[in-house]
Amino acid sequence: MARFPSAEWVTLYQDAINGNPAYKVGGANWDKGVVALICKAKPDVGLEEDAGIWLDLHKGVCREARLVTSAEALKAPFCITGEYARWKQVIRKELDPITGMLQGKLRLKGDLPTIVRFVDASKALVESAGRVATEFPDD
Amino acid sequence: MSYDADSTFVFAFPTRVIYGAGAVSESSLECDRLGMDKVVLVSDRVLAEKTDVVAQVRKALGRRVVLEFLDVPPDSSVAAVEAGAAKAQAAGATGVVSVGGGSVIDTAKGIAILLREGGSLRDHEGFQNLTRKAAPHVVLPTTAGTGSEVTYVAVIKDVEAHRKLLFGDYNILPDSAILDPLLTVGLPAHLTAATGMDALSHALEAMHSLQRQPIADGLALRAIHEVRAALPTCVKTPGDVAARGRQLVASTMAGAAFSNAQVGLVHAIAHTVGARFGVHHGLANSIAMPAVVRFNALACPDQYRQVAEAFGVDPSGSDEALADRLAGAIYAFAKSLGLPGGFKDVGVPREALGELAEATLFDGSVIYNARPVISAEEVLPVWEAAWQGEG
Ligand SMILES: NC(=O)c1ccc[n+]([C@@H]2O[C@H](COP(=O)([O-])OP(=O)(O)OC[C@H]3O[C@@H](n4cnc5c(N)ncnc54)[C@H](O)[C@@H]3O)[C@@H](O)[C@H]2O)c1
Ligand SMILES: [Fe+2]
Repeated sequence: MARFPSAEWVTLYQDAINGNPAYKVGGANWDKGVVALICKAKPDVGLEEDAGIWLDLHKGVCREARLVTSAEALKAPFCITGEYARWKQVIRKELDPITGMLQGKLRLKGDLPTIVRFVDASKALVESAGRVATEFPDD
Repeated sequence: MSYDADSTFVFAFPTRVIYGAGAVSESSLECDRLGMDKVVLVSDRVLAEKTDVVAQVRKALGRRVVLEFLDVPPDSSVAAVEAGAAKAQAAGATGVVSVGGGSVIDTAKGIAILLREGGSLRDHEGFQNLTRKAAPHVVLPTTAGTGSEVTYVAVIKDVEAHRKLLFGDYNILPDSAILDPLLTVGLPAHLTAATGMDALSHALEAMHSLQRQPIADGLALRAIHEVRAALPTCVKTPGDVAARGRQLVASTMAGAAFSNAQVGLVHAIAHTVGARFGVHHGLANSIAMPAVVRFNALACPDQYRQVAEAFGVDPSGSDEALADRLAGAIYAFAKSLGLPGGFKDVGVPREALGELAEATLFDGSVIYNARPVISAEEVLPVWEAAWQGEG
């Protein structure tokens, strides 16, 4: 069990991605670089600062995953930003991230068509997040 | 129409719409309301030099215009947006008034982003990536058309990188859309027809999108009815202000519909052939529609029954027969407006179809098409049918 977001959670998430055969297939042609996620600060649940998650994804493998600052995360070619409650919805599979971007629930820096082209990979990434035994600080 | 129990949607329509023949005179009042006392007027050379449209708006806005930026190329460009924004900033402009078709409006959306955020346009590329509203923007559309006056989308060509920058953001939705049919009466017949078919395609695509939603459906179906009733008159009797007005409002309704429900394979094809062969956006959509409707026949029959009714087509029969009849009616409608029926008639070589089919998959619009588009082989027959242009 790991708390979202935390360094432990990110490590478990990397394992979940690399253990997910659907990601291996869906992300097999991904060579577009790092995808970063930013969870906005939410002090009332103890999340004092924005948390960045750096995912070095390449050809179906997550080569590196670490917790970073939001300033660092924004340097990635693709960066998806959302409120804490939105990420909770994504991890619980209550919100599809691409729909979320179109509807203004998540923000994408980068080229949407590229992300869309790899929709199977993005589904598998979300699916992997759902496999992490996650503890939410406000539950 | 039924929606899944777990369907969710957001419908955003913050733009104030002001309609009327002569509504151009409202533009000054709208600027006052929005606190826009120094504006850049964005348009293109054709409208400024060959029509009195820009002169009318200039007169209505008076001294608040600190700069006129008229160097907008077809389909816009990063260079034009950045040049326009730099000049507007130097002139002290804090707001944007755009007068033109989709190329002008999308350029103005880009300028509004840079007036607020600074930097280069590429820095802000993304979806819902802006954290605050762009500079205030009042739009007067002169085609009917793109619906860009009420959409959260801007597509701007990056000529050097051979690609399009795509912006989808609630923060670039214009503040006001002033719909004055008198501004559209000078639009030549072939552009009236092509831009009018763009509006029809927005309504059709909102209906067959996987993101379709009841509020957008309502707007789309009404727009389909109105385009069918008004567009032929606009083409044959350009000075018919009542018909021009109906078409203009239909275009805005269709824009609001797709801005919330998204577009699909028709637009993916139009963007692809537009980027590769410069086929006008509306014309490309017109040519693509029949083939896509046949492709989607079994994926969204309920929606197509409603589209058929709105378009005056018999909605009975099997799903395939219905889609075939609807596709045939759209084709005949485009032909009756004097538009070419196939990509072969607009300079697209048959040898290019394979490459075009591949490229279609890289357009963001395909993902919400009713029938999933997964491989180039699957979409190639759609390209072949659209190239032939069979009724
Ligand atoms: N942002 C959106 O939501 C959206 C939606 C659809 C299309 N688009 C974009 O819009 C662009 C196409 O826009 P468009 O179809 O309006 O064409 P356009 O703006 O390129 O204009 C076509 C030509 O018509 C001329 N013209 C326009 N109005 C006129 C008038 N009243 N009288 C005489 N001439 C006139 C223009 O000067 C130009 O030469 C494409 O780049 C497309 O990608 C954007
Ligand atoms: Fe369009």
